[in-house]
Amino acid sequence: MIQLTNIEKYYASKGVKNYVLRLVTTTIKQGEFVSIMGPSGAGKSTLLNIIGMLEEPTYGTYEFLGEDVTSLNERKRIELYRNHIGFVFQAYHLIDEMTVYENIEAPLLYKKIGSSERASRIADLLDRFNIVAKKDLFPNQLSGGQQQLVGIARALAAQPSIILADEPTGNLQSAQAEEIMTLFKKLNQEDGITIIQVTHSEKNAQYGNRILHIADGVVKEDLAVLS
Amino acid sequence: MFKLNLKIALRSLFRNKVYAAINIGGLAIGLTSCLLLLLYAGYEWGYDRQFKNSPDIYQAMINLNDQKGEVIRTISQSQNVMLAALKEEFPEVLYGARITDVYKRLVANGQESLKLDSRYVDPDFLKLFDYHFISGNPTKALNDPNSIVLTETAAKRIFGTTDVLNQKVRFENQVDLKVTGVIKDLPTNITYGFESLTTFTLYENLNQWPKKPNWGSHDYYTLIKLNENTDIEAFNIKLKGFVGKHFAAAKEDVFIYPLTKLHLYGTFLNGKSIGGNIKQLQLFVGLSIGILLIACINFMNLATASTQGRAKEIGVKKTMGASRSNLVFQFMLESFILTLIGILLSIILLEFSLPMFNRLLGIEIVFDYLNPTNWILIFSVLVITGFISGSYPSFYLSGFNVIQSLKKSLNFKKGYALTFRQVLVVIQFGFSVVLIVATITIYKQIQFIKNMPLGYRSNGLLEVAHEGLLYEKFNLLKTRLLSSGAVVGVTQSSGSISNKNSSVRGLGWVGMSESDKMIDFDQIYTTHDFTKTVNIRLLAGRDFDRKFASDTAAILLSKKAVEVMHLKSPVGTSIVYQGTKRNVVGVFDDIVWGDPSKVAAPMVIAYADISDVITMRLNPDKSLSESTSIINKLVKELNPNFPVEIKFIDGLNEIKLKNEKILGTLANLFGCLAIFISCLGLFGLSSFSTAQRIKEVSIRKILGASITELMTLLSLSFLKLIFIAIVIALPVAYYIMNNWLMHFELRTSLNLWVFMATATLTLLISILTITWQTYRAAKTNAVDALKYE
Repeated sequence: MIQLTNIEKYYASKGVKNYVLRLVTTTIKQGEFVSIMGPSGAGKSTLLNIIGMLEEPTYGTYEFLGEDVTSLNERKRIELYRNHIGFVFQAYHLIDEMTVYENIEAPLLYKKIGSSERASRIADLLDRFNIVAKKDLFPNQLSGGQQQLVGIARALAAQPSIILADEPTGNLQSAQAEEIMTLFKKLNQEDGITIIQVTHSEKNAQYGNRILHIADGVVKEDLAVLS
Repeated sequence: MFKLNLKIALRSLFRNKVYAAINIGGLAIGLTSCLLLLLYAGYEWGYDRQFKNSPDIYQAMINLNDQKGEVIRTISQSQNVMLAALKEEFPEVLYGARITDVYKRLVANGQESLKLDSRYVDPDFLKLFDYHFISGNPTKALNDPNSIVLTETAAKRIFGTTDVLNQKVRFENQVDLKVTGVIKDLPTNITYGFESLTTFTLYENLNQWPKKPNWGSHDYYTLIKLNENTDIEAFNIKLKGFVGKHFAAAKEDVFIYPLTKLHLYGTFLNGKSIGGNIKQLQLFVGLSIGILLIACINFMNLATASTQGRAKEIGVKKTMGASRSNLVFQFMLESFILTLIGILLSIILLEFSLPMFNRLLGIEIVFDYLNPTNWILIFSVLVITGFISGSYPSFYLSGFNVIQSLKKSLNFKKGYALTFRQVLVVIQFGFSVVLIVATITIYKQIQFIKNMPLGYRSNGLLEVAHEGLLYEKFNLLKTRLLSSGAVVGVTQSSGSISNKNSSVRGLGWVGMSESDKMIDFDQIYTTHDFTKTVNIRLLAGRDFDRKFASDTAAILLSKKAVEVMHLKSPVGTSIVYQGTKRNVVGVFDDIVWGDPSKVAAPMVIAYADISDVITMRLNPDKSLSESTSIINKLVKELNPNFPVEIKFIDGLNEIKLKNEKILGTLANLFGCLAIFISCLGLFGLSSFSTAQRIKEVSIRKILGASITELMTLLSLSFLKLIFIAIVIALPVAYYIMNNWLMHFELRTSLNLWVFMATATLTLLISILTITWQTYRAAKTNAVDALKYE
């Protein structure tokens, strides 16, 4: 599904190249649940951003679903966001002016899904995540764990094939974190959604089935998780 | 999508109440000013266009030529025979009418007697203008010489009702007329307004001289209706030499000019129109656009300044698959919602401000809710404003990089480079600075002209019309007035001391050159006590005196007249005036008679018993109300049929500066509004900016910065902009106002202090505006600001 070949990323400053990623080559298959781990500043988030096409690599090629997306025009990228990729953020990033319902509905509107289909999908997600009662509340009326649930529901609304999560439990207490990770595992196993997460926690990484260890921009280890 | 965006826009408005209030308030004020000025522009533009025939009505204009055939002056009045001659010789001329100047005429019906603005016109006047007749027949109303047409209000004032067809009124206390028509009140934006119309034949019957064919005197406005397919330019070429053919001595040419252009393009130079009121109109439209722009800039600035708050939303939406056009659309929608609210508010404001605005300008504009043009106007203003305000924010915001916007690490340029937003602030304040300079300069010019020595003492001077029985009883009135103690001087004259109404050329004197024949002299006729009553200073010789019988052929010259005539010892010489020899008995100091902003023209005061005005000087020892009531009583006693109208010369002089005053008031009003809206924006902007820098402020505070130091730091970034605006705007203002002052022969100077005052004022207002925000920021608890990091 994802094929990264010799991805490099550096920032030039006063003639000096500061490398963030060096010669990263890896393949991520459909249905995998990959955790990217490593110390601060190792390049985890940059790698996730490149996979999410939010940043472009300085060098190397990136194929997504067999298509070279190394440098993609805006229209194509939007197309991929609408149909294949869902983002989950550490700080949830719900839109404050929208209710829970509207937050989940937003990607469907951009995808131009008909209203009845929209309603049934949202109802389904609210039901599944047990937040029906909260649908008319605004983000600031919810706890962090609840907000992240909404964030995930929103990411799932467009029925993506892959979810990219940047420290999804970084702002949560452990009980809520566990709930979220269990949910991710379930989504991966039952719905076959590919998940790539960046995490600091060894415990969270155990929910997935593969761990990429990064340090100083280089993939040090590529381990399979034994369950 | 649309519905959701709408909902979100309203919610975010509600959430950021201060921001919304500043935006909507600024927009509403800007829109109101813009609508007001546009309505005014529409009013001016609509001048004389209300009638079905308007496009085909032309006025006969006269170019007065000098010896060489060059046009010296263009006048709008023509001779009493012009119309008949044109009709006879040119088949293109279908019909037309002569019109006299508007004049207060006495109209009475036994119970009521009052003076109405009246004109004598030819019957076809009613064919030219399709007035709305409430009663009477427009095709026949003025056929009988002894008929009168009244406006609705005039009829109500006299009779208390408009149902007055065939009623009798007494006109000028001389003749009985029959009311043959009542018309709806006229709009105020027409050139030939009136309250009552009487026939030109009646005018000829009441006065002998208008009847005599006379190619030498220009007294009447001549309007004609041309055949629709007439080529005007060709027609005007045909008219060359037309007057000369009838009157060989005339050095003039007649030409026709569209009535609809007369008001806006009525100023002529060398026989060609060089504009007129259109300049003022352009100024107003420019002003309205400027003010609206300032309000739009507020919107843009505040919208882009609030990026910190919106950045996350934009980033998230982009990862959800929002395209740039989705976002542009969303921000445009928000801008339109704000503009819509602003415009609704401004319609309310308009209702409240229109009466005041009308009073200020002496006009009558109403906002007609049923008129689709008004709604088209409002709709276009809405679209333009919404679009301008929304454009920059939407493209700026929608172009955000996702990662940066989500990380809250949007970089704002530091250093000396100006961002677009800063440029906008500079434009806003630059515009305001120009308006402040304009206000001060206009005010200064008005004061300058007002303080110019008039050459006589206008204070305590008043006049009444010399009319009716007062002609034969003038001496009696004079004696009674003087002995009553109310006044200390009484005199009669052919015109008011406050307004130029007559000039003459062709004076003769020893040692004159050929070209001196073309010098125009202001002239006024009087008998005795004129200089004494008016307090004109005599430089040499004496005033007309009863002791000298020969004084009936005497004349006084002004200082300027002596100058242009190059007379060594004027007193005692004789000159030729109006074809007869006159003795110069005195020289008087120049007085301001015509346009107060012009250098005084040479002037003569000639002895003649031709009078329209009685001028008196109040007794300074008596109270004003007492004196005026005595004057009222005495004048009424001798001339019972005419209402007494006392006019103060000071007041009449004031009116002469009306245009400049209006300009001054408008510049003042809209200058204040511009500054106010700009400051609203500055307030909002400084609040956003200080919010952004709160972390920096907190750290500096921990490092030991004092509140004053912090406030200075925060203010400086804004004051820098204001300073740049001032530096740029002052030369522009200098250029504009210098140009404006060039219109006046006598003008004030643009001193340094005007600019210094403007700069200081602007800086002071700006400092006041941002102080509140910076003070709040500097006072915040450092821990609160830092703990969320």
